[in-house]
Amino acid sequence: MLIGIFLILIHWLFVFLLAPLFVGLVVKVKAFFAGKKGPSVFQPYFDLVKLSRKQCIYSQTTSWVFRAAPVVALASVFVVSLEIPLGILKAPLQFSGDILLLAYLLALSRFFMIASALDTGLSLEGAGASREAFFSCLSELALFMNFITLACLTQSISLSEMIGVNILIPWNLDPVLLLVVASFFIVLLAENCRIPVDDPDTHLELTMIHEVMILDHSGVDLAYMHYASAVKLFLFSGILVMILIIPFQTGNPVKDMLIFLTGMLGLAVLVGVIESSMARLRLNRVRNLLLIAFALAFFGFVITIWRG
Amino acid sequence: MTAWIDAGCIFIVFFALAILATYRIVGMIHIFALQSFVLGCVPFFLHAEALSARVIAIAIVTIVFKGILVPYILLWAIRHVSIRSEVKPFIGFGLSIILGSLLIAGAFWVSLSLQLPGKAVSNLVLPCSLSTVLLGFMIMVTRTRAVTQVLGYMIMENGIFLFALLLFDGMPTLIEMGILLDIFVAVFIMAIIINHINEEFERAPVAESRSETGESF
Repeated sequence: MLIGIFLILIHWLFVFLLAPLFVGLVVKVKAFFAGKKGPSVFQPYFDLVKLSRKQCIYSQTTSWVFRAAPVVALASVFVVSLEIPLGILKAPLQFSGDILLLAYLLALSRFFMIASALDTGLSLEGAGASREAFFSCLSELALFMNFITLACLTQSISLSEMIGVNILIPWNLDPVLLLVVASFFIVLLAENCRIPVDDPDTHLELTMIHEVMILDHSGVDLAYMHYASAVKLFLFSGILVMILIIPFQTGNPVKDMLIFLTGMLGLAVLVGVIESSMARLRLNRVRNLLLIAFALAFFGFVITIWRG
Repeated sequence: MTAWIDAGCIFIVFFALAILATYRIVGMIHIFALQSFVLGCVPFFLHAEALSARVIAIAIVTIVFKGILVPYILLWAIRHVSIRSEVKPFIGFGLSIILGSLLIAGAFWVSLSLQLPGKAVSNLVLPCSLSTVLLGFMIMVTRTRAVTQVLGYMIMENGIFLFALLLFDGMPTLIEMGILLDIFVAVFIMAIIINHINEEFERAPVAESRSETGESF
């Protein structure tokens, strides 16, 4: 019991200490590509501290939904983070079918975000909420297709066994996993509002999706929202890196952890490179990008089924 | 080696899918060039243990013809004709992608009951070649421009070439070379025809109304 709590605390400590660093790295890579020095990689931490010392201001038209959304968003990523094995840290919470809990906890936090955006009564936030709802429908389709393919590959429906450190499926540059990785990467970019889908830096209301939904949040609430989205990005990257590093497992805990952290660093650089080299897609083309992600995962699924 | 062949086959189908989702003709041609390049590399992996001069010749000729010359001619045709570069599909891009993935599933399902003679190096080659043929066919029938139809035809041909690699040992080199040359000439002629169509329309007063209804290019 005590050990279980200890493991949970270590897991949380790992995720919640490193998540803002991941965002900071992406920003740093983007600054490097723009020929700038850029803020320190620890800037997200400073921002969070600064925001948490500020006062929350609520509009008179908002109700409890608006105040609940940041808490729900942060709480759901807290729980989700327990289901995901990261490096040598095994997932403290694992049971058969926990991928459904993961997907729907994320959906819950998204639902509250959309509801809080609508609660403000601001038409721009309504537009952002509508886009978020539409794109998340499609990205959820691709996400589930990925999970189904992984489940067929590994014959299990628990995330820890699907991507965990203990299972060594014969990777061997298995092309099915390449498809899953490519598809999951698109889902990662879409779910976390990175560039081909949404621009995390822009403050032009007409083009924003995620950023426009949190326009009215301030102070600690805003810090919660930022923290939740940073952790979400970190967790998605963690899943992707765990899939990628399965063939490089050595069994040595220190080496495995280093491989995992190197993978995360590489992914942060890759996201940064994509953000600096691509433009945002037009909104009506995002749909096709997500459908491509679905098609890739479906293709992988067909091959897996076909091999029997 | 099987993993590399599998990866090559999957990339070929993936590029066909990507062409289905591309908005610009130039982008389509670039992806097609990539696809042909991957296709040209597949014989190397397929016959890695006994690399004969014939295999190398086929691979190099494929890469040069389909990966470089054909895309170059198509790009030249586009530049000369100065057509608008958007693809105009009969059915939307989203629907195309979904139908494309269904076609892939269908091709895999059909290939379950196809038994081919000869040694099977990688069992993914057959379903992937069928999928590529079907996707190329779909590009041909759903995209309205002349250039995109040529591209659809070329993708179909890539699928057939992949299929032919399975029967590689039973197929004389001369025939393969003849097919490649035929395709090359076909694309060349099509490019010239596209070019001439445009010149005719530039002179013809009906050019405007024709491009509204006829969708010639």
